[in-house]
Amino acid sequence: MLIQRLGAASRHVVLVVMCVIALGPGYLMVTGSLKSQAEFLGHPWALPTSPDLEAYRTTFNDQFTRWLFNSVLVTSVAVLLTMVIAALAAWGLVNWPFRGRDTVLGITVSLMVVPPVVLLMPLFQVGAELGWISTYRIVILVYVGLMLPFSIYLLANFFRTIPASLLEAAALDGASPFQVFRRIVLPLSGAPVATLVVVNLLWAWNELLLALVFLQTDEKKTLMVGITGFQSRYSLDIPTVMAGMVVATLPLAAAYMFGQRYFIRGLTAGGLKGE
Amino acid sequence: MNARRSVAAALSAAALLTTAACGGGSSDGQSPEGAGSPQAFPTEDVTLTMWWWGEQEAPGAKQWLADTVKAYEAKHSNITIKTVLQTTDGLIPSFEAAAAAKQGPDIEYFWGGIYSQQPYWSESITPVSDYIPADELAHYTNAALEDTYDGRTLTAPWYVNPQFPVLARTDVLDEHGLEVPTTWDELLNVCDVLSADGVTTLAGGVKDGWFGGWLYSMLGAQSVASKDDVTAAVRGDQSFTDPNHAEWWTRLEETREHGCWNDDINSLELYQAQQRWVDGDAAMTITAGTDAPNFVEKVGADKVTVTTMPTWGDGAYAGKMGTTSQTVGITSWSKYPQVAADFIMFMHTPDRLQAWYDQTGSLPADDRFDMSKVGDPVKKQLFAYAADGAPYLENFIPSALDSKAVFAGVQLVLQGSKSGEEAAADMQAEAERLRRTDRSLVDNFEGWTD
Amino acid sequence: MTTDVATVGPASRPVRRGLAHRLGPLPWVAPAALAILFVFAYSMFELVRQSFQYDDAWVGFENFSLVLTDPLFRTAIWHNTLLLVAVPVLVVLALSVAVVLYETRRGVVAYRAILFLPYILPIPVIGVVFGQLLQLNGALNGALDGLGLGSVTQDWLGNPQLALWTMGGVIVWKEVGFGIVLFLARMMSLPEDVYESARLDGAGFFRMHWHVTIPQMRPLVVFYVISEAIVMVSWVFNYVFVMTNGQGGPGTSTVVTELYIYRTAFQDQAPELASAAAVLLFLSTLVLIVGFFRVQRAEGGTFGD
Repeated sequence: MLIQRLGAASRHVVLVVMCVIALGPGYLMVTGSLKSQAEFLGHPWALPTSPDLEAYRTTFNDQFTRWLFNSVLVTSVAVLLTMVIAALAAWGLVNWPFRGRDTVLGITVSLMVVPPVVLLMPLFQVGAELGWISTYRIVILVYVGLMLPFSIYLLANFFRTIPASLLEAAALDGASPFQVFRRIVLPLSGAPVATLVVVNLLWAWNELLLALVFLQTDEKKTLMVGITGFQSRYSLDIPTVMAGMVVATLPLAAAYMFGQRYFIRGLTAGGLKGE
Repeated sequence: MNARRSVAAALSAAALLTTAACGGGSSDGQSPEGAGSPQAFPTEDVTLTMWWWGEQEAPGAKQWLADTVKAYEAKHSNITIKTVLQTTDGLIPSFEAAAAAKQGPDIEYFWGGIYSQQPYWSESITPVSDYIPADELAHYTNAALEDTYDGRTLTAPWYVNPQFPVLARTDVLDEHGLEVPTTWDELLNVCDVLSADGVTTLAGGVKDGWFGGWLYSMLGAQSVASKDDVTAAVRGDQSFTDPNHAEWWTRLEETREHGCWNDDINSLELYQAQQRWVDGDAAMTITAGTDAPNFVEKVGADKVTVTTMPTWGDGAYAGKMGTTSQTVGITSWSKYPQVAADFIMFMHTPDRLQAWYDQTGSLPADDRFDMSKVGDPVKKQLFAYAADGAPYLENFIPSALDSKAVFAGVQLVLQGSKSGEEAAADMQAEAERLRRTDRSLVDNFEGWTD
Repeated sequence: MTTDVATVGPASRPVRRGLAHRLGPLPWVAPAALAILFVFAYSMFELVRQSFQYDDAWVGFENFSLVLTDPLFRTAIWHNTLLLVAVPVLVVLALSVAVVLYETRRGVVAYRAILFLPYILPIPVIGVVFGQLLQLNGALNGALDGLGLGSVTQDWLGNPQLALWTMGGVIVWKEVGFGIVLFLARMMSLPEDVYESARLDGAGFFRMHWHVTIPQMRPLVVFYVISEAIVMVSWVFNYVFVMTNGQGGPGTSTVVTELYIYRTAFQDQAPELASAAAVLLFLSTLVLIVGFFRVQRAEGGTFGD
């Protein structure tokens, strides 16, 4: 009752306060990167009096471009592979029902709960034995493995909701399972696929622990590993650290700004409703 | 001591961001003879790889190393040495990864003490004394104190860190009519006066833990008779609750009671806190020995007194600075250990020692360095402290004990939720636990003490 | 495989069950199976093996008893349990904001975009920024002072009684946007006539959402609860690591199970104890998995429909 009576104005007040809280730290980061150290420490919330891009120069003199490239490469390849492999597996599981299929799916889902830190040590040992430490392929492979359970689960659940009549009609036309998959199943799956791309993209881009352990040479570090070292190197120079953080955030933030509609629609529309 | 453990160490991502851990590898038991005796010096083309660290604490080291390599290569035309500067976070993990794969550097950089021992215990390095003659090693500062196990010298000291100078701003103290404190009571008095005036006496930050280890080494050394007391406590022959090991915790508690520290010591990282001193917001702080001259320069030499931790104990080490050497070692998988050893000895030739001082302003770890060439009074003073230093305690306890008992305990004592006595009891409990969980700990420490 | 065309379709019962059919899914499933086996199966096997060994010798349950008698391990488990308190907070907050947004048609797109932003921030960035923000003399306390709220200022991360709750607060700050967006999207897809009839019945704001909205959202809420519970138990490492410089401090006040495992393995060089702790953590997460299955069965498939 209360909120309704207070009406639209108070709702906006609540929302604006929420937005201020959501944006506060980001504001601190962006303005901090444009200030001098003393200005930041003295007046953290004030707007920069004389915005200065010096911190960004320091940042780009470091190896940000290299890390950025690595992150883009690792994330995009891992997410792409995950999507392809998960879609195939999900369709395989749904299309050929077999005894124990639900158990297989169940076990797959339960793997979502396994904390990555638990797997780190044995995986590192394998990686070392294969001589794959500090290679893209070990990180990509592990990322794919970690993203698959949720991806398969989500897609399999979605595929099950595709009306059988559609598929049967296609089958009667003599389409092979692959053709059915490509011509009917995939075009229907835009929403859950978008969901997964978003969720996996965020996860892989932001992943720190595995990348930290597996990518030990400067040439192979991802952005998250890079900025972690960067921040300890420049820890006394707050504007530079903040500039580094802005640069690390920017790619996703930009992607989010431009693709907001897909981001949010992807996250919600498909998988979560079963469309 | 086996491959499995060294891999784990490998991940010693400890080093990733947290404290550092240690080595892995294997000593392949060359006869501990003079240089070059086990294997003849090669005449074919040889490439050695050296992974190192230290530019952060001794700026100029990179240039010095490049010059040294150039000079060495000029002398031996068939030898090429590639150097790779590691990051602080990456130094140990990358070495551990190399140790797990048994490939990587021929020469590796190690901190002293436990950081030099553990790679030997896990068999990733060959003792340098297998290739460098004893009379040469005898000149290397702190080699016997920190880097020797069972009569073998494991890694070769490179340069010396005086750990840790206390920097006092006489301008801030003067303002309040105070002198630089040298005894504990004087320190507490300074704290009382300054905290009443709302000024920080000592600027510090313990959020990232490291500073706890510094304080342990500086305060704890004042009541032990030698590093053997510490290793004895690790082995269980003494207790960390014995007065000679525990009393420093009480002293630490006193600093809190007397308001010595900045109130936000628990939410600041160490390096952030030292900045307070530079800005004139604190009377004193504690910095890395190699970095101290830079801090002094920032504030102005006329306003700064470099001293040691005020003394509370009457132990042999009270009033002294700790001393430790950063070292280089030869990996157990190196194909040309004799060349690596020869290069290490080249790093200790007179010309190179002098160049090290000229280029970095820090002290080479060799008693053949001519101290009379040092003009700067601050450096002169620091070097004198380092030459007659106390063992740096933190380097003589397992790194797990350091981070779990010391780092955590200092945070809680300075925050006020634990008493010094409780912290000492915690440290003892943790040491007992470590002896149960690391079944080779006692043996390793016994071999080290002998 | 082409001989099996007739059996295509999830709903149709297979007519023939020849070898070809049984092998049908194999090429489809094989890549995923290989990747999952590589990442999980081998690791889990190794983990269990190591948890029963020391220095390559079989030691039975010794490692487990060493871990279980470690006060720090118990502290870590307890901290994970405490963090679960953040889950209901998240749900209530996300639901309330979603309802408010739903009622506020103007500017919804902009609000939603902003409220979702924290969710895309990398955790290392959050660690750095909040590390500055939450210092005793940092920006948050400065702002509180400026607003005349000087009495509520705290040493947010430096006080051991408070640090874990601060951590929980930061997690809520980041994760709530995800919930808001989820719930709002679901509300917007609810048929308008449901609300119309409720309104005609004279239902007030709270009654309407309590009796109409919430029941419709139940499966989604349960999904959100479970996935956030997984975050608190299995994925909280990054937060603790970046905000306490890997220490879990002050003292042990923010040590969680993952950090315990990580430090035991990589700092203390006791992989066998880390493995035992990891096995124990995995067993306790099984509870969550069982919960997940219950829900899935009860809701009949997808988490949402």
